[in-house]
Amino acid sequence: MSYSNARLVPSFNRPPSRVAIRAVPDYQADVEAVLWETLQEFQLPVRDKTVLIKPNFVEPDIQGMINTHPIVIRAAREAFLRLGAKSVTIAEGPGHERDTEGILEVLRLRDYVGPLDRAFVDLNTDEVTEVPTRTQASRLKALFLPKTVVGADFVVSMPKMKTHHWVGVTLSLKNMFGIVPGNCYGWPKNVLHWAGISKSILDINSTVRPDFAIVDGIVGMEGNGPIQGTPKASGVLVAGDDPVAVDATCARIMGLAPERIDYLKRAALLLGNMQEEKIEQLGEDILSARTPFEILPAFRQLRASAPQGARN
Amino acid sequence: MPTDAKLENPAWKIHSSSEDFFYGFLRRAQNPDGGWGYRPGYQSSAEPTAWSILALREKEAADGQTLASASDWLRRTQRAEGAWPTSSGKDPGCWTTALSCLAILKLATSPDDAITRGLQWLCASWPAEGNLLWRLRQRWLRKSEEIVRQDHSLRGWSWTPDTASWVEPTCYALILLQNVPEESCPAEARKRVTLGEKMLYDRVCPGGGWNAGNPLVYGVPGVPRIAPTVWALLALRNHRDRAANVESLEWLERNCENIQGPGSLALAQLCLRVYGRPAKPAESRLDDLCQNNQFLQSIPVAAWALLAASGVPDWLEGPPQARGKL
Repeated sequence: MSYSNARLVPSFNRPPSRVAIRAVPDYQADVEAVLWETLQEFQLPVRDKTVLIKPNFVEPDIQGMINTHPIVIRAAREAFLRLGAKSVTIAEGPGHERDTEGILEVLRLRDYVGPLDRAFVDLNTDEVTEVPTRTQASRLKALFLPKTVVGADFVVSMPKMKTHHWVGVTLSLKNMFGIVPGNCYGWPKNVLHWAGISKSILDINSTVRPDFAIVDGIVGMEGNGPIQGTPKASGVLVAGDDPVAVDATCARIMGLAPERIDYLKRAALLLGNMQEEKIEQLGEDILSARTPFEILPAFRQLRASAPQGARN
Repeated sequence: MPTDAKLENPAWKIHSSSEDFFYGFLRRAQNPDGGWGYRPGYQSSAEPTAWSILALREKEAADGQTLASASDWLRRTQRAEGAWPTSSGKDPGCWTTALSCLAILKLATSPDDAITRGLQWLCASWPAEGNLLWRLRQRWLRKSEEIVRQDHSLRGWSWTPDTASWVEPTCYALILLQNVPEESCPAEARKRVTLGEKMLYDRVCPGGGWNAGNPLVYGVPGVPRIAPTVWALLALRNHRDRAANVESLEWLERNCENIQGPGSLALAQLCLRVYGRPAKPAESRLDDLCQNNQFLQSIPVAAWALLAASGVPDWLEGPPQARGKL
């Protein structure tokens, strides 16, 4: 992709997707080696391309369960550079915290990737360009989006594996909310909520299609996510070139039924594969990686019945 | 990537103080059209232009031409209906309108046509939640009230039209209206101020402080953040003895030491000074934080840092002109 090159393909006409589940017990493990090996398997077309990594940074968090871990970000950045990327930029526009730099400092991101005024772009204050939304599922017929995102050749969504108190879960598709700039829509980007969160997720992801997704599930968040939940160690990185398939796989790992998650169901119609039989699993299988997450009572209906032999 | 547009090597050490540094930075970052972008070299935009005006006018040395061309840029970019656009250059923003009005007001001798039209638009701009129809629909759908416990009839200002009230845009609008002479305010101003202040008190987090505007979600107390707490305290500074103000100020003082971002640190210093509270000298900490990442070359952060170093600006001085009663 990224901006509007990818075709919207109805699910019946779509080839299978591949998703890798890698066991990574903690952040002391060799994350770099794991990601390097994983990305090589996908043979990604990034040589001489500008790569944009979109992590999930929400607010300063000393416990390390809210934001994508900088070790995973560094590992991805190094891997894309080794694959020949012309540049790798880390870019994010936190949803309700204007002090982006405060979040980065608590994360110590510069210790991992060097001076941030060069490695990082605050999407909340970037220059923007107006882009028509491709699906127009919400009332938003166009969005003002950061030029850094629209101009990138290859976009990687890198969320944390978390529950979410408005939509059930937040993974690689919901993570793309962060590309919508605060300097046009405010903090929070309330326009998206009023236009319908699920529909907005579809519109954003159809307009700026993430080419790849890497979900940090080494330690995620369960319960009252995405901010006030409790840490949940799933011990996995989940990666793939179809964000819908990646999110569906993560939902299954979390003990949830992806087809009951409204925005995933919508995304599966046009953007990617949700059905298990259309996802080729690499690395660990879902059953062995399955670590059911606690969810708020309001989302009980998302819970999948436990497969035979699974942890519940 | 905009790296070629930024000012290379801010050269902290050649400046005698961070105040001098930020002053020079803002002066150099002004675009030829008179405005400022969110970063040097970016297209001019209302919010960073307004912050730059408010900060630079605190420096006696700021020459009249710098401020006059900035004010002209704001006047030129005002929309026909009175609002100022967001960075889109197209769609109106409540916060951009409040800040632009305030910046022009502080350079003008009295409210002129641009300010009057801005005030009228702002006072006529109601957030989308909280009207009777909306509340009935929410009750029927049993949405929202189960999730967030707040009084939706207390409406402040939204970031952009047709969305909900949030703390920061409400604060900017209140601070503006506190600075406008009574006779120049639109008829609805008094009602809007009263509702806006009540809305802020309704949204205070349990234990003090404010976040973006949801103090309680699924019964769990929200975590306050520095910037919204600062702006709410500043907008409510004429109620400084109220328990919520006292509690929130204490929260701010307790959390100052842990601030890791230069923008938040500068705002906290400004707020403590306005409230007459002893603030530990933060210049060296601010220098350190700014050097870490070159404050991401943010124009608003540079303006807040200059404001924090310059004392109490007149638009935050003393008890504001009361327009509403709580």
